Amino acid sequence: MKGLAGKQGRASWMLWILILTLMLAGCSGGSSDPGTNGDAQEPGENSGSTGTPGDKTFDNKELNIAVFEGGYGNEYWKAVAEKFEADYPGVKINMTSNPKIMDIIKPQLVAGNPPDFIYVSPDENTGTIKSLVKEGALLELNDVFEGKALDTDAPLKDKITDGLLEYMEPNRDGKIYYAPNYMSVLGLWYNKNLFETKGWEAPKTWDDFFALGETAKSDGRSLYTYQGIYPSYNESVFWPAVAAAGGTEAMEQALSYQEGGFTQEPVKQVMGVFERIAREDHLMRGTVALNHTQAQTEFLKGNALFIPNGSWFESEMKDAPREDGFEFGFLGVPVFNEGDQPYVLSSFEAMYIPKKAKNPELAKEFLRYQYNDDIVKLNAEKSKGVVAVKGAVELAKDYIPESAYNAFKVYDEGTMPLMVQWTQTPKSEVIINDELFNPLSDVMNKKMSADQWGDKVEQASGKLRNLLNP
Amino acid sequence: MKHRERNLFIAACTLPALALFATFTLYPFGKAVVMAFYDWSGLSENPVFTGLKNFRTLWQDDIVWQALKNNIFLLLVVPILTMAISLLFAALLTQKRLTGKSIYRTVFFFPNVLSIVVISVLWSFVYHPTFGILNSLLEMIGLQEWTRAWLGDSSTVLWAIAFPMIWQSVGYYMIIYIAAIEGIPADIYEAASIDGASGVTQFRRLTVPLIWSVMRITIVFFLIGVFNGSFAYIKVMTNAGPNHGSEVLMTYMYSQAFNNGNFGYAMAVGVFLLLITISLALLSEKLTERDSVEY
Repeated sequence: MKGLAGKQGRASWMLWILILTLMLAGCSGGSSDPGTNGDAQEPGENSGSTGTPGDKTFDNKELNIAVFEGGYGNEYWKAVAEKFEADYPGVKINMTSNPKIMDIIKPQLVAGNPPDFIYVSPDENTGTIKSLVKEGALLELNDVFEGKALDTDAPLKDKITDGLLEYMEPNRDGKIYYAPNYMSVLGLWYNKNLFETKGWEAPKTWDDFFALGETAKSDGRSLYTYQGIYPSYNESVFWPAVAAAGGTEAMEQALSYQEGGFTQEPVKQVMGVFERIAREDHLMRGTVALNHTQAQTEFLKGNALFIPNGSWFESEMKDAPREDGFEFGFLGVPVFNEGDQPYVLSSFEAMYIPKKAKNPELAKEFLRYQYNDDIVKLNAEKSKGVVAVKGAVELAKDYIPESAYNAFKVYDEGTMPLMVQWTQTPKSEVIINDELFNPLSDVMNKKMSADQWGDKVEQASGKLRNLLNP
Repeated sequence: MKHRERNLFIAACTLPALALFATFTLYPFGKAVVMAFYDWSGLSENPVFTGLKNFRTLWQDDIVWQALKNNIFLLLVVPILTMAISLLFAALLTQKRLTGKSIYRTVFFFPNVLSIVVISVLWSFVYHPTFGILNSLLEMIGLQEWTRAWLGDSSTVLWAIAFPMIWQSVGYYMIIYIAAIEGIPADIYEAASIDGASGVTQFRRLTVPLIWSVMRITIVFFLIGVFNGSFAYIKVMTNAGPNHGSEVLMTYMYSQAFNNGNFGYAMAVGVFLLLITISLALLSEKLTERDSVEY
């Protein structure tokens, strides 16, 4: 049957069928015991050798990996699996890669029959990784990072980008569950060529920023746009601005739902910036209704001077039409007063080993292998991505777009890196990141003031605070 | 003996279907209701029984009430307009003197064969704030101040979603009504014409009462269809935005289950949705309880 009636219940049936499948899978898998656990033998304490992994043997030589196929593609994973199999004779890697990888492996996770190794962003949109953390279903990786790297004598943790490992403990309890791989830098972008030809300065403070607003208007452009129906893209402006105004303590206070976290002065100041963009009509017309591709295309066509996005921007939009002479320029995020410490947001994607993995030892070895210098380079070559190890930006320089390289370089020029991680709470109906950024549409439509916005988020944050301290 | 054989045969024929129905409909249905009383992430093997907690949360969740309000808006606007327009088209296309009837039928029915996702993408370009045909048209006829970001404004977003839903389903219901109208014997109309009844009177006094039983059925279709069909349009066109401006219970249930790992709560929203759908279906049955006229 066609028409509205034909769609009768289809979505809900699908949901139920899915649940049914999950339940059945749960029944059949629930009793399976991890009898095949292949405990690895590490003969001769690794004999202190570096870069010769072939001297370790594993009882279980089969490794199942599930990798997210996103902006970085899956070419790298194919290549590294092949190389790993060559370096570890007898090992067989079975790879599943898909843009919807979490939907694919979810039944296996529920059935207690997970892959040995997963790669996906911790913020992937099914919330599965977060749920796995809450359920305690990921394997602790502290020993991997405390132990030696495969190609040096130093512990692996010394190779990882400074300050990153604490974000690998989602519960902030000293237990590492995430192993970082791809890093990105996020902030405001502008058309470098346009600014140079017009003789405009890239703004350092918010005052400079708004001063450009009038200039832009007289040039027939708008000052700002963002990825409309996905307002959370603005996090890469919001948090660095909060940190610049009130230090990272102010940001942490908000991210951990402390009382007044969203009504404190620095946050109010930043919400005021967004309100001012709306009040003075600096937002590109129609922004709120556009999706990310549409908004980014408008930006490339020169209709807005600034847009927030990450270092993947150039690769993401490589086929999109643009203004003549367009050149990607990374601005970072302005500060309130000259001389304030600027911050720029970083984000990472990560790898995980489920607690119920059948072959955790080999999975850990595969994980260590990821951080070898030659593998990091292979990764950059195949995926155009930058791995979260020291010096990776230079290793990747030849393969990544120049704009991405320049974005990473802001950290060498006095800008401090920043990472956003909401404090984990027990399960709740409040999706705090949405609660924070969804009202932005109303602010931009001039239907909500900055103060009302802050009060609204404070209310949602209060619900989570009560869950943390019942 | 004969009797038993017959019973056996009936059982053998119905059991497979019954088993499938039980496995794929009744069991998940029951399970969903049961899970509404649990705290479950969708991953763990041990859901925790929490009694009515999910329902208490639901009662205090502002987004649920906003979503319900949006649901009710669509439930009122879409069926009423769809019914009015498709009846009008049906009445016009059954007029004897109209030329090119089959072309009109095809054209009006055409949106119905497109997938909802295609329609949603199509319409989000119609509404595109800078090069969308709607804003361009308004500008062309000098109504500059009427242009807006139709899908980005909480005061217009629901109308902007209702319209493609109506556009898509009018053709289908039109066909149903045409079939019903064509079943009415022509001599009744002839008699009415001789008695001096105008076209409008004929429609009101003859057509509507005579196809009332069909219209009644379509009302139930409308209610259920809008409740469930709105999901795809909203997911593609607005992602429930701006700021929950087009959130409906289906999208909220989906985001709680699949984006927030809160299956227990999502099932509670589902049960709430179910109660509303059932009561609406019963209500519409009651409201339209009027004997259809036989001919």
